[in-house]
Amino acid sequence: MFLRNYWYVAALDEEVRDRPLGRTILGEPVVLFRTADGALHAFEDRCPHRRLPLSMGKIVDDVLQCHYHGLRFAGSGLCVRVPGQDHIPQNARVRTYPVVARYRWIWIWMGDPALADPAQICDFHWLSDPDWGAKPSYLHVEANWQLIVDNLLDLTHLAFVHETTIGNMALVEHAAVKVQRAPNNVLVTRWIVDQPAPPTFVKVGKFTGNVDRWQIIDYTPPAFLRLDVGACPTGTGAPEGRRVGGIGMRNLNAITPETETTSHYFWGQAHDFEPHNAAMTERVFEQIKTAFLEDVAVFTAQQRMISLKPDAPQVDINADAGGIQARRIVDRLYREEQAAAAAHATAAE
Amino acid sequence: MAVNFRVELIWKESGDKEAASIFLTSDGRVILQGRGVSAEERDKLALPRDAELISVDRNLIRAIKDML
Repeated sequence: MFLRNYWYVAALDEEVRDRPLGRTILGEPVVLFRTADGALHAFEDRCPHRRLPLSMGKIVDDVLQCHYHGLRFAGSGLCVRVPGQDHIPQNARVRTYPVVARYRWIWIWMGDPALADPAQICDFHWLSDPDWGAKPSYLHVEANWQLIVDNLLDLTHLAFVHETTIGNMALVEHAAVKVQRAPNNVLVTRWIVDQPAPPTFVKVGKFTGNVDRWQIIDYTPPAFLRLDVGACPTGTGAPEGRRVGGIGMRNLNAITPETETTSHYFWGQAHDFEPHNAAMTERVFEQIKTAFLEDVAVFTAQQRMISLKPDAPQVDINADAGGIQARRIVDRLYREEQAAAAAHATAAE
Repeated sequence: MAVNFRVELIWKESGDKEAASIFLTSDGRVILQGRGVSAEERDKLALPRDAELISVDRNLIRAIKDML
């Protein structure tokens, strides 16, 4: 199940240069490239002649040339050259997709192009904000995109999957989690007040006493999760909104479905302490990356089990509350999108 | 090891109007936020005198339907 009329991250900005990049998105093959003026292009990655992926070709004179017979396609998607003949068949064209570069990511619109409004791109400004140190990255994951969303909205797995990295049992003992569900948003909030800071926080925050810690997970459909985590010296008013003398980080996640069982996982880590210290950015990133790979091992294994027996039963527990609410939003949006598409098709007949 | 993982669910309609909280407790209960029904209300509305009654707003019912 894919939602189509949304912006998705297609690539890291640095991945799209003057060489074509092939990537399957929502089950559709797409080729991305830049022309000499820096303009971004996204085409269907299939030559209309003999269906070779155009990503196997190259950019020649600012147009994309197919590797097989040299047909060339301009930014409009129209074929502009067929080697050996003057006549260019009218249907020699490829579908184009709206694309935008923002927050060090390349965003693509896979749905109705008439609805593509860049103002709807989810805010990930921390990745490009000079007041924050940040590093974006990419993982290809052999798992359905919603398994990753479930994982990110669930705080209790930290105690088990990440017991040697970022978690401990205190995260599930006596924990109080708030799940706020709005029509198109889920917010999972947890405060840990007047407790010792974890060692990694002490290192960068130089805390000498207890702290108030927060973990706030913001989910926006289809699959954008922005985690706001940090700590301030206890009693300084962080739970009331006064964050002073502490540290803050953003763990930023944009999951793009590749197929029903594989995903493109774009993520980044941003920090507000020593934002211009590249070594600090790298250190924070590497710490989180270790934990990420622990998660990847989990949802790829889940996917293997699901693929073996898709209808095997599963039970829900309290800790699933955030993920369940996110899935309900996606289900509703999917029904709405399907109904709108059906109405549009009926009107067109 | 004592484990006491408690979840508070809050349903928010379009705009800023929030429903009262639903609490999922670690012992399997669902606790709703409401207010007790006074003796005067019981008399006025012909409600049972001895039962434990709470009054909840209609948004909370919608939240239960939508979230649980």
